[in-house]
Amino acid sequence: MTRMKRRTFLKTAGAAAGLAATGPFFHVRPARADKGELVVVSWGGDYDQALRDLVFPAFEKATGYTVKLDAPPETAKVKAMVQSGNVSWDVIMTDIPAVLTLVKDNLLEPLDYGALDKAKLDRIPKELQRSHALGQRIYSFNIVYNTNSYPAGKAPRSWADVWNGAAFPGGRTFNFQGGIEPQLEVALLADGVPIDKLYPIDVERAWKMYDKLRPLVSKWYTSHAQAIQLLGAGEAAVGCTIGPRGIAAKHGGAPIGVEYNQGKLASDNWCIVKGARNKKIAMEYINFAIDPKAQAAIAKRVPYGPSNGGAYEFLSAAEAADLNTSPQNIKEQFWQNVEWWSTPGPDGKTPRETQAERFATWMLKG
Amino acid sequence: MSDDRLSAGRALLWLFGAALLVFLIAPIIVVVITSFNATPYLAFPPQALSLRWYRNFFQSAHWIDPALLSLRVALVAMAGATVLGSFAAIGLARGRFRGKRGLELFLVSPMVVPIVVMALGLYFLFSPLHLLGTPAALYLGHTVIATPLVMVIVLSGLRSTDPAAELAARSLGANYWRALWHVLIPAIRPAILSAAAFAFLVSFDEVVLAIFLGGPDATTLPKRMWESIRFEIDPTLTAISSLLTLLVLLILGCAELARSLQRRASRG
Amino acid sequence: MTEPRRGGLGLWRRGRRVWRPREGLLVLPALVFYILVYLYPLTRLLAWSFFDPGPTLKFYGALLAEPAYLKALSNTLEISVAATVLSLVLGYPLAYLMATSGARARSLLMALILIPFWTSILVRSFAWIVILGNNGIVNRTLLSLGLVSRPAKLLFDMTGVQIGMVHVLLPFMVFPLYGVMSRIDPNLLRVARSLGAPPRRAFAKVFLPLSLPGVAAGCVLVFLLAIGFYVTPALLGGAGEITLATMIDMMVNTLLNWGFAATLGVVLLAVVGVIFVLFSRLLGLHRLTAVGEEGAR
Repeated sequence: MTRMKRRTFLKTAGAAAGLAATGPFFHVRPARADKGELVVVSWGGDYDQALRDLVFPAFEKATGYTVKLDAPPETAKVKAMVQSGNVSWDVIMTDIPAVLTLVKDNLLEPLDYGALDKAKLDRIPKELQRSHALGQRIYSFNIVYNTNSYPAGKAPRSWADVWNGAAFPGGRTFNFQGGIEPQLEVALLADGVPIDKLYPIDVERAWKMYDKLRPLVSKWYTSHAQAIQLLGAGEAAVGCTIGPRGIAAKHGGAPIGVEYNQGKLASDNWCIVKGARNKKIAMEYINFAIDPKAQAAIAKRVPYGPSNGGAYEFLSAAEAADLNTSPQNIKEQFWQNVEWWSTPGPDGKTPRETQAERFATWMLKG
Repeated sequence: MSDDRLSAGRALLWLFGAALLVFLIAPIIVVVITSFNATPYLAFPPQALSLRWYRNFFQSAHWIDPALLSLRVALVAMAGATVLGSFAAIGLARGRFRGKRGLELFLVSPMVVPIVVMALGLYFLFSPLHLLGTPAALYLGHTVIATPLVMVIVLSGLRSTDPAAELAARSLGANYWRALWHVLIPAIRPAILSAAAFAFLVSFDEVVLAIFLGGPDATTLPKRMWESIRFEIDPTLTAISSLLTLLVLLILGCAELARSLQRRASRG
Repeated sequence: MTEPRRGGLGLWRRGRRVWRPREGLLVLPALVFYILVYLYPLTRLLAWSFFDPGPTLKFYGALLAEPAYLKALSNTLEISVAATVLSLVLGYPLAYLMATSGARARSLLMALILIPFWTSILVRSFAWIVILGNNGIVNRTLLSLGLVSRPAKLLFDMTGVQIGMVHVLLPFMVFPLYGVMSRIDPNLLRVARSLGAPPRRAFAKVFLPLSLPGVAAGCVLVFLLAIGFYVTPALLGGAGEITLATMIDMMVNTLLNWGFAATLGVVLLAVVGVIFVLFSRLLGLHRLTAVGEEGAR
């Protein structure tokens, strides 16, 4: 009886192993059908809601396409999608190191600048116009805190303060996963490296600072929207997340404060994923997104710096002062060195990739 | 036990039991109450009452599209699992063949295989077939996890029926499959119905498969909820939670009804 | 179906010859489906863990060589054992209460366990986030009672994960326990008492030993489910509580290390498989599947 059972079992297992060894026995490669839909991938939160309210309707009305929004546009995910032939994203918005990492692996389509309005392009700085990416907004990693956790005037003002758990009690929240790189520059600033001497990044020194940060963190967040929520609810007292989102939450009544000092500025850019269903429609979408009026309307809700300089003409002086790119705010911050983050090392991987992987293994070693 | 019902120990036991039940039920009640809150952030008890989160759920494609997809996937999985699981249960209960015990073990094993592992296996299976991110991946995956449940429930229903009835029909000249269709299946219909209901529920609530196999074109309600909890907590979640709890109550009610039918059927 | 029927038994015996073999065929559709969409992918997992693209043991080597991975494994076991013990400690008295109560009280208790049992795990995890947060009802009660001076940390750490897991797993402990306890003849206890044993002793000498199969079934089941948990640690943990399941997610979605993800899957599967097969040999499969039945009552 037992022997019989074992034999049948072995037979079934053998058959299955045989199947497994032959590999996938049929390959289908369907052309991804154009169903009148465009999938746009952004970073969630208020900005996405603003896109939904202020950009998509005009585009949908003009083209008859509907837009679906997904988040977040992780580089690893793009790679997995394109390489396995399961592409379900069309347009993504991401930072330059991520863009260059993707371009290196041939995972993005070049942009067709002829499909964009020249008047709009003329107002976008040249360094935000790349072959595979076009700037949409300027983001910044800033010190964002819960105002109930610190008495007025006693909130953390520098990254060294954020690392100082004794003088500034309360849980920290920093990003982990969600397609965001580790904040190595910020760690170096906390260790006293001058703001103009951050690059090339002393990686080991930065990770040592992360070791010191670990016990202070009450929750590693996976999206900026989550970070704002944790800070607003007091689950964390202070964290490193997008300042403009903090300002938007503050205007919405949340007990949140933003410190622009020592913030890290960088750009988010539109790109088209290799294998996107309809490149022409994707370009048309981008054309709507870089409209100065639309960008100004978004900036009124979430004060990211718009890429289109024309947007400022639709903002009041107070609204412009709120932006993370206002002259007053920009003075206190530094620009991310995209060169450093996207120059491949000897193994062919960019620091954007290497450091993200190191971040994951670092976390596992916790 | 009537003599110690009033004893101190018994009272203590009830107190403990009650506390535990509060632990089990309270979270759900808190969420249901929170769902009627009018403020744009979570607050308990609610500061002002409103149905805005329910309106938000039913009016926004962001939530209602995934809900409709979940419905579709759950119906397909329910149909697949009910057919496969019921037949398998009948085969196991009435058939006589070698290796039956091993087969039963194999057929119920998906109940204990960690869903993450199953999701990973299916991820590798569907990736070269270009099925990742399509509803088809979910139809298949959900059917796998719902089938064992159907089988177990139908098997237990079969245990309370008498094989004699089928044999009687057969001895009266009924064709083999006719006896199955006209005698056996009606006898276990309540079990099949309640199994189907639970298969629906299991599929409707499944989140891990949806996380691994879904995509923007295949976002089920649990996947959307997962994203919302992980990325930005939207109070609409409270309304959805209440609606899902209502669904559970409905299905448990149906199952209870089916069970009393089964009792009547097996008695009669 | 309480008493065997004579006629039925006669027909049954006669029927064996004509009736049974063909009915076994009804298993086939499910079997074929399982082989394609269940067994085949799991075997592919095995293949992924041993090939890259030639045969290799490097993934298993890495698993053993890197303390971080072993730590995830020990984390997983630790969390699962703790959840099992907690569920047993809480579940045993509850099952006992159910088994020794009148029919009406029992139905009430059963219903109150079944509702959360069938409620979406997402809904329940979300509920705990609402309740256990710094502004949640628990912390506000503690603060207003003056028991704590600042909100206690209940969320996004091990406490939160354990609360969430026990909430999910408790019914899986209670059902098998109750199933066994309800079959213990209350007369046995009564006899023990009438022979002069004090209640506590009667319980320890008579009831407890008879309930042990239920304890074993409940513990195995809860442990099996706990080691594969993904949703609860991911939502209620702070990211430090890395388990095999969350590590698989990280390998697939962040590091794109599919071979290693497959290896972790195989390890998890092997642990579950060994326990499952051993248990069904020793105590019978029906004790595990009983949960499905109880749950569907």
